[in-house]
Amino acid sequence: MVGLARKPAVLEVPATVGALGEIAAFVLLLAGRAGLGKGATYRIRLAVDELATNIVMHGYRGGDGRITVRGRSGPDGVRIVIEDTAPAFDPVEGRLPPAPGVPPERRRVGGLGIHLALTSVDTYAYARRDGRNISTLTVKAEGTDACPPRT
Amino acid sequence: MPLSVSLSIEGDTTVIELTGELDAKTAPEFHQTIEKAAGHGTGTVEIRMAGVGYMASAGLRSLVFAQQKVGSGVTIKVVGAIEPVSRTIRTAGLDRSIQLSDG
Repeated sequence: MVGLARKPAVLEVPATVGALGEIAAFVLLLAGRAGLGKGATYRIRLAVDELATNIVMHGYRGGDGRITVRGRSGPDGVRIVIEDTAPAFDPVEGRLPPAPGVPPERRRVGGLGIHLALTSVDTYAYARRDGRNISTLTVKAEGTDACPPRT
Repeated sequence: MPLSVSLSIEGDTTVIELTGELDAKTAPEFHQTIEKAAGHGTGTVEIRMAGVGYMASAGLRSLVFAQQKVGSGVTIKVVGAIEPVSRTIRTAGLDRSIQLSDG
């Protein structure tokens, strides 16, 4: 993304529920540096939180692991890259759009977190490289409407 | 930011008031309160969320859990949720079974 700072900030944390707050604080810091509005800040935080939660709960299946979050902020917005070494998982395939015909008590909410994440950001890309799952998300500083996720 | 949860009864309504952030870490506290609220057996469970500045899908899971716990004859209301929180509830389609209001 043009206009983003060259040097990324990096956070590496254990893949635990307890570390999610640290990841959120890191994302909020980057959003603040980029001068994102309230809506865009909420969206990037939600997206990263949902993807990180999914890595903790399902990626490493409760076992040991680490999550690396890299971020760049600039006048155009924020780009976040999330990496883990859990088994290959492409969130675009794992998303679960809402099922209007299904009664709430029988609905799976799990995949909905990923759906929320992918519809909250302006761009999304997944890659599997060198045994790592790599998610790249961007939220634009000025965008108000989230675009559909892309692969 | 932690979550504060309070529980009270006003007539035939059980009131749960949430303040803080509702995510994978804090949702278990909300779950415990829902269990207690379901035991009250009131006709309505009102969840006041004006003080919730952030809600992840773990919060949606809690709301679905609440519906399962209280049964079909009980009305669940979510009152005062900020716009991105109510949007998340609508995205999940939960506004069909849970009454959303500005309070």
